[in-house]
Amino acid sequence: MRLTLMFLSVALLLLSSWIGLTAGRIEPECRNIIYMHVPSSIAALVCFCVLLAASVGYLATSRVSWDRVAAAAAEVGLIFATLLNVTGSIFSRAEWNVWWTPSPRLVTAAVLWFLYVVYAILRISLGGDRGLRARVCAVFGIIAFFDVPMVIISARFMPDIHRAGFSFDSAWQTAAFLPALASMLLLAAVLIWLKADLLAARDMLEKEI
Amino acid sequence: MKHFLSGFNAVFLKDLIAELRAKQVLPSMLVLGLLIMWILRLASSTSSIDLAVTGPAALWISILFSGLLAQERSFSVEKENGCLEALLLAPVDAGTVYLAKVAVNLVMLCVFEIVIVPAAILMFRLEVSDWPVLVAVLMLGNLAISGVGTLFSALVCGAGARGAVLSVVVLAVLMPVMVPAVFALMVVFGAVPAALVGTGALAFVGSLGSALGYMVAFDAVFIAACWLLFGIAVRD
Repeated sequence: MRLTLMFLSVALLLLSSWIGLTAGRIEPECRNIIYMHVPSSIAALVCFCVLLAASVGYLATSRVSWDRVAAAAAEVGLIFATLLNVTGSIFSRAEWNVWWTPSPRLVTAAVLWFLYVVYAILRISLGGDRGLRARVCAVFGIIAFFDVPMVIISARFMPDIHRAGFSFDSAWQTAAFLPALASMLLLAAVLIWLKADLLAARDMLEKEI
Repeated sequence: MKHFLSGFNAVFLKDLIAELRAKQVLPSMLVLGLLIMWILRLASSTSSIDLAVTGPAALWISILFSGLLAQERSFSVEKENGCLEALLLAPVDAGTVYLAKVAVNLVMLCVFEIVIVPAAILMFRLEVSDWPVLVAVLMLGNLAISGVGTLFSALVCGAGARGAVLSVVVLAVLMPVMVPAVFALMVVFGAVPAALVGTGALAFVGSLGSALGYMVAFDAVFIAACWLLFGIAVRD
């Protein structure tokens, strides 16, 4: 099942690339990176929403399975946040001739990345006590979530070099974008699922030893 | 309300009196703050650097790190001899304990700033354009720092290496509020020419008014969320 979904995700990404490189091509060429950049940023934000939900779930029920989902979502979110910042940096270099500039959207995206990294550090350094680690991480997940609305609204309400939204010129471009978005979200979901199961297996192993 | 006030007062006064008698943390806060500012002042002593730009940054850095000392202490002292359990067993709402601790840390930061802000003004040759705004910006910053720091101090006080964890977590969570805070101090100290307000990097906060608005919004959200989460987070 998971393998099938993973293949489906890769197939969708290939389909998107194929349309994006032929009929759905955006001029100038460097702008084609939005087929990676925008879906990965949406996936990073969705992972943060999953992290919030799992954190609330853990604090409300104290069930370890919620903690595992939170850990998995944060780890996958870190991957997508890294992808978002790397592709964004390349895009920024091509478009504005700088690797990074302190515009609202770029600042908040960097803060997003830092929050994911700190979440990972928190998990590593509080390894000793399971209950404590789960509680601290859940609280951090909720408090840190307040940055997410900032990322979304920052480019809309503040004067920014980064565009607020985007619109496509042709239906082909939309056709290239939607499979990429579906692919990234699918990949994020499968990875979270996989990681949560992996953590569950590890817990079970520890219990038997 | 009366119940809340008596509980609040009891915890607040207990902590304040303990600090006044033992002088555990305020002296080290002051020395750390002054050292940080002095080092940054030395680092920015070339003629090409605008002191009105580095001054606010140095001020916030010393407030953040010295504030961490106060927050770390506020629950690590309770951990000894199981005081935290007793405090939570007392017929006082956990949220009240949290608010009292925040108030103590707020007082500590204010006392600290009474020394450190004039020191910054002298060291960095700053000129204050508007004193009430300066006080407002500092108080809003203090509120965010104490609110977040106190919650996470309570959470990690049981862990080893709590100092390292606490500093990383608190600084990361406070990043969004530190951006308007630094900007607002730069405006107060006249580092931003009026023509440049709202352009380029400074577009993030726009004008002084919107920077203050951001800080008020963040303070309200942080304090409310931390107050609600505190009771859940320390319940066992």
